[in-house]
Amino acid sequence: MMKLFRSVGDWLDDRAGVRKLIHESLYEPIPGGARWRYVWGSTLVMAFMTQLITGIFLWMAYSPSTQTAWESVFYIQYEMNGGWLLRGIHHFMAQAMVVLLAIHFLQVVWDGAYRAPRELNFILGLVLMLIVLGLALTGYLLPWDQKGYWATSVGTNLASQTPAVGPEVKKLAIGGSEYGHQTLTRFFALHAGVLPGALMAFLVLHIALFRRHGLHARKPDPAKDAMFWPDQVLKDSIAALAVLTVVLLLTIYFGGAELTAPADPANPYDAARPEWYFLFLFQFLKWFPGELEVWGAFIIPGLIMTVLFLMPWIGRTRTGHLINIAMLCVLLGGAAALTAQAIHEDYFAAWNSKEEILKAGDPVQEARYEASERFLNAKEEAHREAERVIELAESPMRIPPAGALSLMYDDPLLQGPKLFAQNCASCHNYVDPTKPVEEQPHAIVNAEPTAPNLFGVGSEAWALGILNAEKIVSKHYFGYPGSPFVDGDMVTYVMEAVGPDVDDEQRAKAKEAFAKIAETLEAEAALPTAPKTNQERQNRIAEGRELMTGGLADMLEGGMSCTDCHKFHDEGDLGLAPDLTGYMSREWLLAFVRNPAGERFYGDNNDRMPAFGPHDNPQLNQLDDKSLGLIVDWLRGDWVRVSEPVEKFDEAP
Amino acid sequence: MSNTPDQPPPSLVKIPGRESDNRRSFFAITAAVVTGSIAVLTPIGVGIAAFLTPLFRKSKSPEVRIALLDQVPDDGMPRYFPVVADREDAWTRYPAQRVGAVYLVRKPGKEKPTAFTAKCPHAGCFIGYTPGSKVFQCPCHTSAFNLDGSRVNGDAEVAPRGMDTLPVSIRQAKTGDGNSIAEVWVEFIDFQTGHKEKIPTA
Ligand code: FES
Repeated sequence: MMKLFRSVGDWLDDRAGVRKLIHESLYEPIPGGARWRYVWGSTLVMAFMTQLITGIFLWMAYSPSTQTAWESVFYIQYEMNGGWLLRGIHHFMAQAMVVLLAIHFLQVVWDGAYRAPRELNFILGLVLMLIVLGLALTGYLLPWDQKGYWATSVGTNLASQTPAVGPEVKKLAIGGSEYGHQTLTRFFALHAGVLPGALMAFLVLHIALFRRHGLHARKPDPAKDAMFWPDQVLKDSIAALAVLTVVLLLTIYFGGAELTAPADPANPYDAARPEWYFLFLFQFLKWFPGELEVWGAFIIPGLIMTVLFLMPWIGRTRTGHLINIAMLCVLLGGAAALTAQAIHEDYFAAWNSKEEILKAGDPVQEARYEASERFLNAKEEAHREAERVIELAESPMRIPPAGALSLMYDDPLLQGPKLFAQNCASCHNYVDPTKPVEEQPHAIVNAEPTAPNLFGVGSEAWALGILNAEKIVSKHYFGYPGSPFVDGDMVTYVMEAVGPDVDDEQRAKAKEAFAKIAETLEAEAALPTAPKTNQERQNRIAEGRELMTGGLADMLEGGMSCTDCHKFHDEGDLGLAPDLTGYMSREWLLAFVRNPAGERFYGDNNDRMPAFGPHDNPQLNQLDDKSLGLIVDWLRGDWVRVSEPVEKFDEAP
Repeated sequence: MSNTPDQPPPSLVKIPGRESDNRRSFFAITAAVVTGSIAVLTPIGVGIAAFLTPLFRKSKSPEVRIALLDQVPDDGMPRYFPVVADREDAWTRYPAQRVGAVYLVRKPGKEKPTAFTAKCPHAGCFIGYTPGSKVFQCPCHTSAFNLDGSRVNGDAEVAPRGMDTLPVSIRQAKTGDGNSIAEVWVEFIDFQTGHKEKIPTA
C-alpha cells in the first residue's frame, strides 16, 4: 500500500513538482514560533472557503428571477435536506467574516505590519475588505424578500446620488429603472461570479506577498523560531473550528437565516434596515439632512477610505503609527456608538413605557417613541406575513407559477385586514369584545366607530349580540354615536322581548327562542368556521326557522316575529329591513357591500354606508370584485387553514 | 518556470534559416498585438454592449386611473390609493399590478385633488400616513412632511425636497345607465431620490 502511495507521489512530483510545492507552503519559518495571534488571516481564508463551498451548493438550488428567487430560497430553507443549515452557515459565516476582517485589520495596524516592505499587501488587504463588503451587500438582495428588497432599494437609491454619474450607475446596477429580474441576475452575477473571482485573485496576490515578506513578528525571539507546519497549522485549525462552531451555534439558535415575506414593491416595509454591520452607515446618514447627504454618503466615507489606504505612509514614524492606531480606535468606536444608537432608536418603544413618555410631554421623545413603535409593528407584521405565506407555500396547494407573491395577493387572511383598514375601518372596528385588544394581533381598532363591529360577523355569537338588550345598544352594534338605529324598530323589539322591563320568566323564554334563532342565522351564513351540525343542532335550527317566520309572535308580547319586517326565504317582504335569506353568506355580503342601499338590504334606511361596487363597469367601482371578495372572505373567516383543516358546515336540509 | 542563466532570453534566440529582419519583426509584433487584442476585446466589447442595455431603455410614465372623484372627500385629509398599472420586467409582462401608491388630498371647495407619490424623495421608502394625523411620516430615516407635502423641518429634514406631486387630470366616464362620472387620473412619474430638484428617472 505504502509503495503504491509512494509511486503515485513520485509520478505527481515528476509531472507537477508537488513535493516542492507542499514543502514550500508548509515549511515557512515563523520567527518566534507559532502564536495564537497569527490565526486571524487563516481563519479568514477558512471562512471564505466555507462561503465558496456553501455558496456553490446554494447556487445549485437558487434561481434568480422575481418569480423564482424567493421561491427557490423557500425551497432551500424549508424543503431541502438540511437546506436551512446550509443557508444558515452561509449567512452567519458572512457575518463572521466581517468580524474576522475587523480583527485582522486591527491587528495589522496595531502591530505596524503595514510598514515597508508590506505596504502593497496592506492595500491589497483593504481591497479584499471592500470586496467582502460588496459580497455582503449583493447577497442581501438575493432571497428577494421584503427585508432585502427594501434595504437594497435604499442602498441603490443612495448610489444614485453619486455626483455626475449616479443615475447611470444605479441603472446599470439594477439593470433598468425598476427592480426586477435584471436586478437579480446582475446582483447574482456579482455575488457568485465577479466578486468571488476578484476576491480569489486578490487573495492569491495577498498571500503570495505575505509569503514573500514573511510573518511580521513584533518581538521576535530567535530561540523559538519554528516552522509553519505543524504548530501554526494546528493553532489555525483550532481557531477555524472555533469560528465554525460559533457559526453553527448561531445557525441552530436562530433556526437558520430569516426569510421574510416575498418582496412586494407596492407594500411598504417600515422595518427595512441593512445588516447589522452596515447599521452604523445607515445611522450616520441621519446626521446629514437634505443636500448634505453627499457628505454622509460619499465625501466623508471616501475621505476615511483614502486615509486608510495611506496608513502605511502615515505610520512610517512612531508618531504616525500612534496616529493610525488612534484613528482606527476613533473609527471603530464611532461605528460601535452609531450602531448602538441605531438599535436604541429602533427599540426605543420596547424599552420605554408610553405613559411615562406622554407624561413627560417632550415632543422629541414622543416622535421617537412613535417612530420606534412603527418599526416594531412593521417587524411583527412582516413576521406574521412571512409565517403565513410560508404556511401557504408548504400546503398542498404549493406555489403557483406566478410566484409566491400571488399566494399573498390571493389570501384573505393577509389581504383582508389591509383592505378593511383602507376601506372600512374609518367606520367599522374589528375587535373581539370578549378579549383584551393586546391579545388580538388582527384587531383593527376604531375607538369611535360609526358602524357595527364586524368581528365574527354571521356567527352565532354575533347574532346573539344583536338579540341581546345590552349589546345591541353598545357601540359594537347599534349604539355607536349618531346611529339612527338606536331608536329604531329592531332595538325596540329586542327591548320589549328581553329588556330590563320584562319579567324574568318571559325573558328566559325569549332568550331561549333567540338562541335558536342565532343558530339558524349562523346556518344561513354557512361560515367555514361554524361547528359541525348534528341531529340535535339541526332540530334547533329548524325550530329557529319556525320562530322567525311566525312562532315568535305567539310567544312574545309584542306579537311580532322576524318576517314582519324582514324577508326570510319565502316569508315576508323586501324593503323594510335587510333580507335574512342567506344572511351574511358570501353571496349576501358581496351584494350588500356592493350596494347597501338596495331594496334587498337597507334601502332608504341606509346609514351612510357607501356603495363600494354599484357599477356594471368594474373600472368605475371603488372596490374591484377581487378586493371585495377578499374582504368578505376575511370577515367570514374563509381562508385556507393548513394546520387545522376546516370542517365545512353542512347546511340543514 | 524560470530560465537558467546559460540560456539567452527567448527574443534573442536565433532561429536557423530565418534572417533577423527588423521590419519583419515589427510587423509580426504589430500583427500579434492587433490580432490578439481583437480576439480578446471582441467578447469584452460585446459583453459590455449587452451590459449597457439599461442605459438605452427609456421607461414611460403610465397614466393611471386612481379613483373616482367621489372617493376623495374635500376635507383636506390625505387618502391612500394604490397605483395599478401594467408592469414590464425584462421579459415578463404583468398586467394590472400595484406599482406604487399615491396620496390624494382635496382642499375644501376644490374640484381637483393634489396627488403625492408615496415614494420618499430621500431614498425611496414608502411614506406612511395614519388617518387623522397632521403629518406624513417616512419610516426609514424619519422624514416628516406636512399635509401640503412640504418638509416639516425644512432643510433640517433628511429629505432634500418635499413630497413629489404628480400631474392630475379629471376625466369623465360613462356609467352603465348613461350618466357620467368624474375620475381622477394621475401621470405616475418616478423621480430620482436625493436631489433638491424633481428629476424624472427614465
Ligand atoms: S427614505 Fe424617507 S427618510 Fe430616508
